[in-house]
Amino acid sequence: MPCAAVIRFPGSNCEFETARVLRNSGIDARIYNWNDIDRLSDNRADAYVLPGGFSFQDRIRAGVIAARESIMDLVFEEAVNGKPILGICNGAQVLIESGLVPGWKPGSVQGALAGNLAPGRSGYLSGWTHLKPVPEAIKKCPWLSAMNGNPFPVPIAHAEGRFVFREEDMNRVRSHIGLSYCGVDGSAPHGWPENPNGSVLDIAALMNVDGNVLAMMPHPERSFHLWQVPPDMKGPWGESRRNSSLKDLEDQPGPGAIIFKGLAKYLGVE
Amino acid sequence: MSKRPNREELRNEVSSRGLAMTVEEAEKLAGYVNRMPTPLEFHLFDTMWSEHCSYKSSKPVLKTLPTDSPGVVIGPGEDAGVVSFCHQDGREWDLVVAHESHNHPSQVLPVEGAATGVGGIVRDVYCMGARVTGSMDLLRFGDPEGGRGETTRGIVRGVVEGIWKYGNALGVPNMGGDTEFHPGYDDNCLVNVVAFGIVPHDRIVHSFVPQEAHKEPYVLILTGKPTDDTGFGGATFASADLDGEQGMGSVQVADPFLKRVLSEANRAVLDMLFEKDIKFGFKDLGAGGIACVTSELAAHGGLGIDVDLDAVPVSIKNLPPEVIACSETQERYGLAVPASVADDVLKVYNEQFELPRLFPHCRAAVIGKFNSKPVYNVICRGENAAETPINYITEGVVYQREESPVNSGAPEPLERPCDPSRDLTTILTSISGCSRKHIWSYYDSEVQGVTRLRPGEADSCVSVPVEGSRAGLAVSGDGNPWYGELDPFLGGAHAVGEAVRNVVATGATPICATDCLNFGNPEDPGAFWQFKQAVAGIADACNSLGFSGGDYPLPVVSGNVSFYNQSTGGKAIPPSPIVAVFGKIHDHRKATDLVLRKEGNPVLLIGTRKDELGGSLFYRTCLGHHGGTVPAFRGSLEKKMADWVLGVIHDRRAYSVHDISGGGLAVAGAEMALASAEFGIEFSLDSNPVTLFSETPGYLMEVDPGFVEDATLPEFVSVAGRVCRGCSVSGNGWSVDLESLRKEWLDKLASVIWREEGV
Repeated sequence: MPCAAVIRFPGSNCEFETARVLRNSGIDARIYNWNDIDRLSDNRADAYVLPGGFSFQDRIRAGVIAARESIMDLVFEEAVNGKPILGICNGAQVLIESGLVPGWKPGSVQGALAGNLAPGRSGYLSGWTHLKPVPEAIKKCPWLSAMNGNPFPVPIAHAEGRFVFREEDMNRVRSHIGLSYCGVDGSAPHGWPENPNGSVLDIAALMNVDGNVLAMMPHPERSFHLWQVPPDMKGPWGESRRNSSLKDLEDQPGPGAIIFKGLAKYLGVE
Repeated sequence: MSKRPNREELRNEVSSRGLAMTVEEAEKLAGYVNRMPTPLEFHLFDTMWSEHCSYKSSKPVLKTLPTDSPGVVIGPGEDAGVVSFCHQDGREWDLVVAHESHNHPSQVLPVEGAATGVGGIVRDVYCMGARVTGSMDLLRFGDPEGGRGETTRGIVRGVVEGIWKYGNALGVPNMGGDTEFHPGYDDNCLVNVVAFGIVPHDRIVHSFVPQEAHKEPYVLILTGKPTDDTGFGGATFASADLDGEQGMGSVQVADPFLKRVLSEANRAVLDMLFEKDIKFGFKDLGAGGIACVTSELAAHGGLGIDVDLDAVPVSIKNLPPEVIACSETQERYGLAVPASVADDVLKVYNEQFELPRLFPHCRAAVIGKFNSKPVYNVICRGENAAETPINYITEGVVYQREESPVNSGAPEPLERPCDPSRDLTTILTSISGCSRKHIWSYYDSEVQGVTRLRPGEADSCVSVPVEGSRAGLAVSGDGNPWYGELDPFLGGAHAVGEAVRNVVATGATPICATDCLNFGNPEDPGAFWQFKQAVAGIADACNSLGFSGGDYPLPVVSGNVSFYNQSTGGKAIPPSPIVAVFGKIHDHRKATDLVLRKEGNPVLLIGTRKDELGGSLFYRTCLGHHGGTVPAFRGSLEKKMADWVLGVIHDRRAYSVHDISGGGLAVAGAEMALASAEFGIEFSLDSNPVTLFSETPGYLMEVDPGFVEDATLPEFVSVAGRVCRGCSVSGNGWSVDLESLRKEWLDKLASVIWREEGV
């Protein structure tokens, strides 16, 4: 069975559910502490996930200290080896701060996840958003490989999720977009709340150059089961949630499962 | 050490140290040690005998609450209550629940006060060995648009910020709660917090040194944040009237990051100890800090202890012994383990989880040794800082307080003009009746990945906390200050009743309750009478609403009393009994929510409307009148309704369910429509204020048309209307388009409270 390593830093808090959904997707998942470097080095995984949370208390900037932990050298090496790597929420912040994403110049930080920009409010925002994949990214990114291009709902929960880049990089960043925020029907967002944080180009998840590393702000592990979808959700996922039988409610995957299904498909899980 | 002091000397000590204890209590203490008590002893006993820790005024009254039921594993007495929850893969899982207040600190320093409130209550659940799977906040604030509105708005924003900054970082999902505004809280906000978790039955941890310590050497390990001077005198502060900005130094400073790392490290340590079959004791540090945790771990295990304060990791040098021993620095735990495994335990904290690297001066350290001599002995810099017979520390004090009825009855309004469309609109766009979504949007309700129904989606939040099991946990907390003010007995009874209905409306069977009793000064006979009335109301409701069969009540398994919620001007809060109820649904997939499902479906009214609108939203927001007859509490009817609703939900015949409480039937219907977007309700009832706005307890339930034809409806159930297309509610001669009202209903709270931030 293929194996994924979930790497937790001091302050991570989504490691258990992330490992659980990987296991439910047919992938053996193990949690490693930030200082478990030798153990992980001896047991290389087929994929790596940096879970959500508040690593190092978001001191200085979210993700910046974790990005400089020694264990990230190993992640860096595996990224170069082409292994699939996913950072969710705080994990995405770590990937951006480590320079792995977008990764134009390895090791150099080329973008930022800035504080949410929403009318009349600041700080943390929890809620469900709709996402859609970029067609080229489906072909390139293992995490998106099971998608058919349809929009799907996934929750966000963050205070700093706004992707920003230098003006001169705005053009080349387009080819790195994996998932973008959208309306229920997949249409481009009309600002807030469809784009919940003011992210440039409505970016929700960004890839590296080769597409094997994905920095994703929304939480697919929280929408892994159909029963996790809110009952008042709009669109086809809401319809299916409201009209499901008991059996379907339990057995049917939720919208976020497709991320892990993509990995399983890529790793050859039947 | 000195000779036995006289009364005058003691009076001077008490006043110069700023202690809350009476001179009589100081004399009692001096008698225990037979000399002038040391500063540490003064502060230790001041904490242990504070109202907050000793329940000295409330204890005899609290004994009247029902606590016995077949599912109860641990009732009131330890840090949290424990009840049986489910079986999964041959393992028995228990639910751990705790409920307390952090009122005074939140009034003075809202962000820190509320954050520490969350921090303190989750510690109570963690220290039973449980994983914390949710928290809830029951908030009471002053009038945000009244004379002290600006202060109140700042407190609301600060409390919400404190809750999200702490809870989200900790990784504990927020499972809702409620928020009420009443001018009686202008000088004293209430921040009641609830936390709950799950633990395998064979891994419950106790907060005393085990019997094995009589046979082999046991030591006390202190772990967590280095001790500083924060929160010194915190329990005493919580037990005094509030006066302006005083007591700021008594508020602790919370650190969710460290708590998160510490929780995972604790988990590793506890797992290691269980796997080696080593008996141990474990307790969080709350009120009274090191002094309380060391003396209680020892005394409750029948032992004494030698504590070495020089071994305590500190972040400030040269603190006096009483400050090191009694400060309430957050994020600390005490662990009683055999000396032989101490090094292994220290290694987990200090090396595997690298506490010293993550936070300056943070580490686990051995700070005490248990021994069979029943003395509490503390050494600091070579000197005896305390030497007290240990049983006196935990013995406590009890007072019989006087009571005197307060006439709070207020007349009914003389006239009740009613225009249903206008009045419903007024209620839904009032600060009391509008959506609380803006508050929830700051909270992470989905971390841990087990949340089934979030705040606002159903009458209670539901999660699926045990991996592999379908058992759902439903939680709700309630308490109506407007009822409490008019009739504290009914305030208590309806707090239970409403929380029970909220849990039942999702299909969950109530299994236990917790309470937090917020009142004024217990030395005031009127305030004490209110307290006793409210407790009697809770007891009455719990005795009527047991779901375990036989005559068993709904057990109250944990709780807290918060007195002195009044300013020095003497203005006390409305009597505020706040109750949380926990329910279990065997199969979470059957849980019901607020969302209307199908056009044409009948909507049933459960609970006949009565003319009892005292304290109602209608009177308050539409007539500007607060008085009148509070709804009666009809225990056996409430139970019958709950049983019937649960039966229909379990038979999968209910599509959506909502309880009727604040705002009555019309508001309940509107809330179902607002939750649904594409559907609404056409009521076929009389359009009078009693039918539409009376808060007589009850439910609305959407069922399929066949159900009404098949079933014989009990006498308390009738067809009230049907589901229609479009987000609206209407009745004979009135109609409200809710889609056009939605924005105001959603934004009202932010536009009032967050106005200083430009909303």
